[in-house]
Formats: sequence, structure tokens, C-alpha cells
Amino acid sequence: MRVIKFLTLFSGVLALIPMASAEVQYKTETIVEGLDHPWSMAFISNSQMLVTELSGNLRLVTDGELSPTPIEGVPEVLFAGQGGLSEVLLHPNFEENRFVYLSFSAPDAEEPTLNRLNVIRARLDGETLVEHKTIFQSDPPRKTAAHYGARLAFMADGRLLVTSGDGFNYREQAQDLDNHFGKILRINDDGSTPMDNPFVNTPGALPEIWSYGHRNLQGLVIRGDGTVFEHEHGPKGGDELNIIEPGKNYGWPAITYGIDYSGAIISPFTEQPGMEQPIKYWVPSIALSGMALYEADMFPSWKGNLFISAMKPGDLRRLELDGGNVVNEEILFSELGRIRNVITAPDGSLILATDGAEGKIIRVYADNQGS
Amino acid sequence: MIKVSISFLISVAIATGLLITQTTFTNIIWLSSMDMPVDVSVILSMLAGDLISMNIKGEFPVGALVLVGMLIAFVVTRILLIWVNIDKRYLYALAGGAAIFAIVGLMPLAFYNLDLIAGARTLFGKGYLIFTGMIAGYYFGARQTEGSSNESH
Repeated sequence: MRVIKFLTLFSGVLALIPMASAEVQYKTETIVEGLDHPWSMAFISNSQMLVTELSGNLRLVTDGELSPTPIEGVPEVLFAGQGGLSEVLLHPNFEENRFVYLSFSAPDAEEPTLNRLNVIRARLDGETLVEHKTIFQSDPPRKTAAHYGARLAFMADGRLLVTSGDGFNYREQAQDLDNHFGKILRINDDGSTPMDNPFVNTPGALPEIWSYGHRNLQGLVIRGDGTVFEHEHGPKGGDELNIIEPGKNYGWPAITYGIDYSGAIISPFTEQPGMEQPIKYWVPSIALSGMALYEADMFPSWKGNLFISAMKPGDLRRLELDGGNVVNEEILFSELGRIRNVITAPDGSLILATDGAEGKIIRVYADNQGS
Repeated sequence: MIKVSISFLISVAIATGLLITQTTFTNIIWLSSMDMPVDVSVILSMLAGDLISMNIKGEFPVGALVLVGMLIAFVVTRILLIWVNIDKRYLYALAGGAAIFAIVGLMPLAFYNLDLIAGARTLFGKGYLIFTGMIAGYYFGARQTEGSSNESH
């Protein structure tokens, strides 16, 4: 059986599928199979990658081979609905301090029927996480197991952005500043609050709030010039790609391009003074998942493009940008089904994670490159 | 049989209509509280829009959901009435309330506590919707009582 699995895994290398984007020739290879709902990926070296499984494990992939034992020391998570072990992110100085950040849902300590989004920092010591420190817990706790957001990204100034979704049932609270529903938070790498956050001096507002009026934020990348790109699930229609600025209101649910899952009109308004517009939106929804900004050299013509993975019906969107505007969209890999995330590898190839209980990691590389 | 069917469909329409308008007004009231430009035309268009959209464009047609829930509840009630001697109006009212409770109270348990009907996200909202189911059930029971009275004469 093991031999068959080994051959299956490495037959991916042999079963190279040459494909073409608008101007780019590329191939794909499956490098890992059998992941349980892979959600996030982070390269810790040129040959090693951490992968979160929503079910609660942090896995190590070395040279395309999945370590049979998960990383130890990962906290217990609430794996239900959309909840579980979500993001893995390395500290900007990871090579020196070995700090890894994880976001996950977990039952509330005082009221276990409720749960919260948590972010911890821990040091990766070999294949074990040690020195855990909880640096963020969403407040108030929620009864639902959906719309956590849970994406993390470091800004150039070393501050950490955390996306916190609206919890589905609590959408109106995305417009209030006294809670974490539907917000992007900006905290220091140790969890403390920067004193230059936009609502630090606003009475009743939580000081870590960076922007508000969001729904279920699933993609977050920061460009070299400091531009923060964020995308979020709309309801039924109205998935959005936004450029985030501090203190701004992104409108949910007062303005939206979607309707409720029940068919109800959440709001007939799509714009309102004081509320920001997306730079792009999708109707019907494509269920945006991860996002990467391509800045590597393997695909020169893709440089500066945003790649957004999508789960409905399942593909990868390549967005060409002109400053802060989307000028072209190309749909790639629709044959792969639901794609949960996309990142760039150190060698410049794109790494895709497919969604589901039998998730795969797929490498996309230029046709003139070796595998 | 035709009269019973018509009564049943009217009671489903009552429950569905009240359920949908409650969700509409939940959204309207919140939008107004946010100083969004809600005027009469917006209210009317949202009401009309929801009555259509919640039966056509949603992930589940609300009217069909109510119909199935009430059909099961009323059939069970009809069987119970063979043995139980209670005023039909009250028993069908309970059945109507139970049907809506199954939709707004029990259904979320299967979806990680997600209240897919926005008006049912609060305890008050759930209570009101169950009450609308009771009104619909009471109407159906009253029609059956009338039928029985006519038959006995």
C-alpha cells in the first residue's frame, strides 16, 4: 500500500500537465496528497513548508514529502463548521526568533458552548511548538462556528493584521466599534496594541481596530508600497476585493452587492457616503479563499498580479492591477475544483492547496523550469 | 378535501407572509437606525422584493419550508385528534407554532447555530415567528371547526 502511495505521489511529477495562461506556459505537479482540509501554508525554508489542517494539525512538508507526524504543541481547536486551525504565519524575523503565529477557533474558557477566534505566538523548536503566548482573542465570544476570518499578515512596520469575521449571526455588529465582529485588527507582534491605531482615542472603541464593516475576510496581503489588499465573502453574491485604509468603514451590512442566503434583501444600498467601495466585486459569489501577491521572477509577466483562490465552482483568479485598480481577470485551474489557498514558493512557483478532506498541495511552475 | 387544501394553503401563506415581512422589517429597522436613506419606496420595494426573493432566489424557498413543516405538523395533529379531545383551533395553533419552531429553533442546530432566517436571530424574533405559526395554525383549526360544525348539522 505504501509503495502504491509513494508511486501515486511521485507519479504527479511524471504526470506533468503542460498548460497555458494568456502568455505564460506552465506545468503543475501534485506534491502532497491526503491532507485533511488544508487551510494555510508557510515556507520555513527553501525546502520546508508548514501546512495547517482545519481539523487541528500543523503538518511539515520537506522536499515534497509530508512528515507522518504532525508538529507537536499545537493547541486544541474547535473543528466545526468553518472553524478549526486556520492561518500559519511566520514572524518577519523567523530565521532568528523561530516565532510562528497560528489562528484558530477554540471554545471559550468560561462558557464552553461559546467560542472565540484565537491567535497565538509560539516558537518552533525542531518539530515542536514551545513558549506559547495567546496574543489575541476575539470578543465577545460567539455561539456560531462560521465567519471567523482568521487571516494574518505582517505589515512593513512589524505590526500584525488580524482579520476577524462577523460570526454570521452578528453581522450588524460589524458597524459597531465595541466588538471584534467584522473587523481588521492591528496589534504588535506580542499582542499589545500600537498607540497609533485609528481608534485608540475613540471613547467606547476597541483600540486594536484598524478597519471595520467587514463580513468574512479570507484573503489578506500587503504590497511593498504598503497597500493592504483584503478580500471577503459576500453573502449570496457580493464577494469583495478591498484596499484597506486605517479607520475606514467598508460598509457591511449597510451596503452590499449581495442578498441573504434566505433570499432576503439585507440592504438595498450598494454605496453610501463614509463607506468604502470594493475595487472589485463578484456577483454571483465565487467563494474567495486565499490570496497571494506575485512578486517573484519565475513568471515575469505575472509580477505584481494578485492571485485569488476560489471555491465556487473552484478555480484561481489572476488579477492584473494598475495601481489600486483591477484591469484584467483571468480564470485558471478550474479543473482542480475548490482551491483553498495560494502562496508563492521561494523559487517563484505558485503553490495551491485544494479544499476538502483529501486536500492536495499542487505546485505550478514555468514550463522551462525543472520540477 | 378541496376546502381543507385551500385552508391549508392559506395558513401556509399567512405564516410565510408574516415570517418574510418580519425579516424585512428587522433589516429595515436596523438600516434606519444606521441613518441609511430608508423611505417609503425603499420599504415597499424591500417588502415586495423579499416576498418574491425569499421564495425564489434563496438557498431554500421559505414558503416550501413552511409548507413542509406545517404539513407534517398538521397531519400529526389530525392523527392526535382521533384520541385527544381538545379544541381543534388550539391544537392546530400549537402545531403551527411547532412547525415554525422546527424551522427557526431546531434547524440552526444542524448548521452550527447559524440562523439562516435573519429575523430569527434573537429570542424575541424566534418567539414572534413561532407566534405567527400559531396564528396560521389557529386559522386552519378554525376552518376545520367550521367544517365539522357544518357537517354535524
